[in-house]
Amino acid sequence: MSSQPLEREVATLIVQTLKLKVDPSTIQPEAALFGDGLGLDSIDALELSLAIAQTYGYQIKSSDPEIKAMFSSLRALARAIEKNRTK
Amino acid sequence: MANAPLIGLYGPDDALAWEADGPRSVGEFLSHVADLADALPDCPSVLNLFSSRYEFLVGFAAAIVRGQVTLLPQSRAPQTLRRIAAENGDCYALTDRDESIEGLASVTLPLRRSRPSRSVPVPQIPLHQLVAVAFTSGSTGQPTPNRKTWGALVSVALATGSRFGLKAGGRRTVVATVPHQHMFGLEASVMLPIQHGLAMHAGRPLFPEDVRTALEDVGGTTVLVTTPLHLRACVMAGVKLPSIEMIVSATSPLPRELAREAEERFHAPVNEIFGFAEAGSVASRRTVVTDEWQMLDGVCLAGEDPSWSVEAAYLSRPVRFPDRIAVTGQGRFRVLGRAEDEINIAGHRASLGDLTQKLLEVDGVQDGAFFLPETGHPLTRLTAVVVAPGKTREDIQRALRWSIDPAFLPRPLLLVPRLPRNETGKLPREALRRLMEEHSEQESPHGL
Repeated sequence: MSSQPLEREVATLIVQTLKLKVDPSTIQPEAALFGDGLGLDSIDALELSLAIAQTYGYQIKSSDPEIKAMFSSLRALARAIEKNRTK
Repeated sequence: MANAPLIGLYGPDDALAWEADGPRSVGEFLSHVADLADALPDCPSVLNLFSSRYEFLVGFAAAIVRGQVTLLPQSRAPQTLRRIAAENGDCYALTDRDESIEGLASVTLPLRRSRPSRSVPVPQIPLHQLVAVAFTSGSTGQPTPNRKTWGALVSVALATGSRFGLKAGGRRTVVATVPHQHMFGLEASVMLPIQHGLAMHAGRPLFPEDVRTALEDVGGTTVLVTTPLHLRACVMAGVKLPSIEMIVSATSPLPRELAREAEERFHAPVNEIFGFAEAGSVASRRTVVTDEWQMLDGVCLAGEDPSWSVEAAYLSRPVRFPDRIAVTGQGRFRVLGRAEDEINIAGHRASLGDLTQKLLEVDGVQDGAFFLPETGHPLTRLTAVVVAPGKTREDIQRALRWSIDPAFLPRPLLLVPRLPRNETGKLPREALRRLMEEHSEQESPHGL
C-alpha cells in the first residue's frame, strides 16, 4: 500500500521530535512504532503527544477509544490525527 | 512493641480512593484488604505488579497484614522480575487479570469485589516490621535491595505531610503520574495520602489531557504528585488544570524556570522532594524560592566534606548521599552534582556500569559501553557504542529490551569496529564524544 502525504508528514514529525536516526521515508506505514518496531516507549508517547498537539491542535488522551490502535502504526496514528485535528 | 495504624484518620464517609467507577470508602478498603489477606498464599514475599494504584494498595496492605514483604523491582523487564523472584526464594506475584509472569504463581483480584459484609478494624502494624524491599541497579549488575520497615514509611509520610502543611479531610485527593512501584511513588502517592486521611486517584495519568480529566473526576482540591517530565508536558500543552492545592515533583531536578511557569499557570506552589531509594525522601524545597534543600524533620545530615550521610531513627545505619553536596546551614544543602556513574532518565535511576554489564552479556557483543551525552536537554537518552561483528543494531536492541528498562535503551546505538580505549583500558569521555561526532558525520540516515 502506498503511503499518504499525511503519513509522510507524521513520519517526519516522529523522527524530528524523538531525534531518531532513521530516514522518515523508511518507516513502514503498517509497522509497529512501539515495542519491537521503532522501540518507542511511554516517554516517547508523551513527547509525541506534545508535538501532535502543537502541530495539529489535537490533544491525545488515554481515554480515546482508539488509543491502543493509534500508537500501533504510522498509518493508524496519521488516521487518528486526520480525524481529530483542529489545524 | 510500638505499632502504627495502617491508615490515618478518616471520617466515616470519606473516600479513601477513586477508581474509574467511583469512590471507595474506608470501610470498603478495609474489607478488600481483609478478603485478599485471607486468600494470599503462604509465602514470605510478593511481587505486587497491580497497575491500579488502589489495587496495589490493597495488595500491599494485605501482604503487610499477613507479615509478607512486598518486592518493588526497578523495572518490569522480564529478566529483572525473574531474577528478583529467584533470589527471594518462595515468592508469588499479584498481577492484573490479563497478565502473568512466566514461572511465577499469580494471584489476581476478583473483578467484582463484594460489598463489605463485616466491619474490619484498622490493622495496627509493628513499626519494625519489614514491609517492602525496593530494588535499585547496583554497580555489579546485581539488583541491590533497600529494605523498608513500616516505621520508615510512616515516618517519611508524616514528615513530608507536615513539611507541606497537609491537613486531613476537606475532600483532598492525591493524583499521581508516577508509578506506585517506584520508591517515590510509594511514598508520595500511596503512603502520603493514607497516613493523612486523604483520598488517592487509582489511575496513572500520562498525557496532559489525562491529568486534567483525573483532576476533574475526583473534584475537591488535589495534590498533584509528578515529575519534571510530566509537569513540562502539562505546561507546554497549555491545559487548564482545576483546583490544584499543591504540586509535588521528584525523581530528577526540576528547572527553576519550569517551576515558575507551572506555579503561574496552575496557581499552586510547586514543591520538590529530594530522595533516593536507600533512604527514601529526605529533603524538600520550593524550587522558585531557593535552590537549597531543607532536610525533613527527623532526618539529619552526618559526616563532613566531601562525604555526607543521612541519619534517621528509622534507618538502621547512616546512608551515604548518592550526590556530591555542599552543606549550607543547619539541615540545609545544595546539590553539586551526581556521583559519576549514576544516571537518571525520566526518574529511572541506574548505573552506567550496570547497564554496560548487561550490554556485554548480549550474545555476539565483544566490547561496548553506555554513556550519557552532555546536551543540556532534559530528555537526553543514553548512547551506546558497541563492537559486535556480524550483528545488527536490531539484534542488540532486541536483546537489551529483554534485560533493561525501556527508558535506558540506547538511542542511538552505534556499531563501531573498536572502542577508543586508552592504555589503561579506560574510555575517556572526550574520546567517546569524538567517536560519536565522527560517527554521526559518516552515517547515512538510512543506517538503522
